[in-house]
Amino acid sequence: MPLKTEKEEFGEGFRSTKIYLDKFKSNYLAFYIIRPLDREEVTMNALLPMVLNRGTKNYSNKILLERKLEELYGANLSISSSKRGERQVIKFSIEWADEKYTNEESFDNEVFEMFKEVIYDPYLIDGEFSHKYVEGEKNNLANKINNKINDKRSYAINRCIEEMCKSESFSIYKYGYLQDLEAIDAKGLAEHYENILMTSQIEIIYTGNKKELSLDKIIPKKYLNRENINYVEREEILSKPYVKNQIVEKLDVTQGKLVLGFRTKIAYEMDLYPALLLANELLGGGPNSKLFKDVREKHSLAYYVTSNIIKHKSIMILDAGIEFQNYNKISELINENIKELQEGKFSDEDLSIAKRALRTSSESIVDSAKLISEFYFGNFITNESRNLEELLDEIDNVSREEVVEAINTLNLDTIYFMRGTGEEENNESNKE
Amino acid sequence: MNLIKNEKLKEELYEFKLENGVKVYYFPKKGFTKKYAIFTTNYGSVDNKFVPINENEAVSLPEGIAHFLEHKLFEEPEENIFQKFAIQGAYVNAFTNFNQTSYLFYSTDNFYENLKLLVKFVQNPYFTDENVEKEKGIISQEIQMYLDNPSWVVFFNCLRAMYHNNPVRVDIAGSVESINEITKEDLETAYRTFYNPKNMVLFIVGDLDKDMIESSLKESEKFYENNLEEIVRIEEIEPSEIKQKQIEANMLTSKPLFYIGFKDTDIGLSGKELVKKDIITNIILDMIFSESSELYNELYSEGVIDANFGAYFTGHKTYGHSLIVGQSDDPQLVYSRIKEMLKKSNDYITIDSFERIKKKEIGHFLMGFNSIEFIANNLTELYFQDFLLIDYLDVLNEIKFEDIESRFKKHFKEDMSVISIIWPS
Repeated sequence: MPLKTEKEEFGEGFRSTKIYLDKFKSNYLAFYIIRPLDREEVTMNALLPMVLNRGTKNYSNKILLERKLEELYGANLSISSSKRGERQVIKFSIEWADEKYTNEESFDNEVFEMFKEVIYDPYLIDGEFSHKYVEGEKNNLANKINNKINDKRSYAINRCIEEMCKSESFSIYKYGYLQDLEAIDAKGLAEHYENILMTSQIEIIYTGNKKELSLDKIIPKKYLNRENINYVEREEILSKPYVKNQIVEKLDVTQGKLVLGFRTKIAYEMDLYPALLLANELLGGGPNSKLFKDVREKHSLAYYVTSNIIKHKSIMILDAGIEFQNYNKISELINENIKELQEGKFSDEDLSIAKRALRTSSESIVDSAKLISEFYFGNFITNESRNLEELLDEIDNVSREEVVEAINTLNLDTIYFMRGTGEEENNESNKE
Repeated sequence: MNLIKNEKLKEELYEFKLENGVKVYYFPKKGFTKKYAIFTTNYGSVDNKFVPINENEAVSLPEGIAHFLEHKLFEEPEENIFQKFAIQGAYVNAFTNFNQTSYLFYSTDNFYENLKLLVKFVQNPYFTDENVEKEKGIISQEIQMYLDNPSWVVFFNCLRAMYHNNPVRVDIAGSVESINEITKEDLETAYRTFYNPKNMVLFIVGDLDKDMIESSLKESEKFYENNLEEIVRIEEIEPSEIKQKQIEANMLTSKPLFYIGFKDTDIGLSGKELVKKDIITNIILDMIFSESSELYNELYSEGVIDANFGAYFTGHKTYGHSLIVGQSDDPQLVYSRIKEMLKKSNDYITIDSFERIKKKEIGHFLMGFNSIEFIANNLTELYFQDFLLIDYLDVLNEIKFEDIESRFKKHFKEDMSVISIIWPS
């Protein structure tokens, strides 16, 4: 079911999309600020949402802000920063129950006012953020950075990417760096924020019940007529590894984590991209993939073993949680499975299953306001004109030869392995 | 077919029973693309001791058997279940928790075919000695993955500190040792008893045709020779006191993690009473610990806690606990501040905060109906507590400030509290 959208451009660097749907009991408004992923500002951009969350001009602390949201029937306000390819995105979003269900008069205007204030009228003292808030959040951000070790699986994936993309900005950690935190102060951070509001590309997306809503209402006049917008450039795609890496890290863990990073050469603009998505699906996309069936179901060597495409960088990441001593056995199985795909050893049924799987997950996007918003935003930053239906049609038309061609571009770049601290090096042979 | 309507929610629910005894509910969601079905047995990790069907003696099976059984139901003599669903464009999955085992799928197309397949595979087990052995390697890896997860360990340690005997203190998947004891015969015993139509429920959510649902199910339902009326579950005798005040461990983590638990003494409820207690307790926890509360903001401003802080209540017929969760360099300080708070509760338990939180709960409940998974999963969970989700808003609206005050006094007692801490190794 194609979605009806209303697009609007107003002022340099702004774009808005409205998607009207009446099946939801709430409305969702998102405001995306797009920045380059850059060591110079990554830590500040990660800190900003945390500081902005502490208060606004009229709701100067968390208690006042949260209580106001509670009165708006628990409107969900969220401010976050994330990494999308070699971009860093600061996202503000608010979701609120529609008046049709709360049986009260519309409080939409209150929501818009508040949202505008959170973005454009933060709590400032003489043009600076509150020192107390900034120092407090610097500590919290330091904790967040240190916390990456808590989730061993994502830590391992991140370490693999870090090593693999050493020379590219994609290796930059999404929450920034401890070394850069210290130099940040309330004044500099406020200046930086003002600067990004004035110079960044901004995308606004509304999903929900039809409203008389002009999105430029949430932008103060001063920020509407901007010049010198910083448009972030598309990522570079490396086709070959600079150096092949193999990293082993010893940590106090029970389960080993194996991560393989591959270069694929296939950019998302290319005709072969849908074939790459299918190749990934066939290899490690889900319970019908070769790796699941072989490594897990046939050899019972892992609970999870999956592969994923990182769209913006044309990288494939494959990961598994395994016994330390099974490293060689599993590496061999993975190689064999990739080789089989490269030789075209998969059935037509497997291919049509992979196509169906991609279709089911893509079609479900329209059941979530948040996912709809993310989909349109994703298209916006990659300049894609393909809408959902077109992408699905392209996937349907991929031939097995194209899949084979896509999988043959895989080039292993980096192997990361997390193993335990206590284990013997030579136990490979004496364990069953 | 019964129709249950809720005017305020503008939603409705169809109810009917298959001939073999399985209860079925269909919740229409017009305009949604995804269609979802979840088939559940009221059998979870806490149901380890019971009297098997057609027997007289109680048995005690190895820990983790419900979860093991969940994995094994995907096994069929010839065909691969994952593949069959995949051919029909469906995504299939399953999960086991303390009280239930659920099998679910969602699809955007071929719904009725997938529904038949779901009902068929759950009702037709295929266990062999070989396929039981094979699963042990996979589940061992799943258990080890959790053992490396400090948030999981700190949670279970907290339950172990609160409970002496209640099986809620045992890891859902069991241990590598316990699952290695599981045999094909154990699985058959558990299956025969708990996968009986009377013990199961099927929820379906999406933009569908109710008559097509009914006829598809009639084609695929299986009849059982022994339809049992009531399963005899052997409940452990649980003292009302906590087991130990404090439990600590060391793991690879960046900062100390803590769980502070309040063990509930008001147990044995079911239906509306249980749900009402659940809502009241969660409102209290929000009044005291949510981001709009004084206590949260004091601790946050002092840098004692960070945004990874929260509190919730879980209630069941045989157990209940409030959990306050976070990370802090000084978990004991958090604990002592909570104990201080208990002494001057009048500052925290106010009508004003009650009204605000209640309004928030209403909004959040409404927003939950945007998600077909939320609807189906919550319908299922509450169904086994003898309650229909569609009536939830009415119970929420009924709650008065007096309910909050009396529950607070009853439940939040210092001597019923424990702390679990994971220190960085």
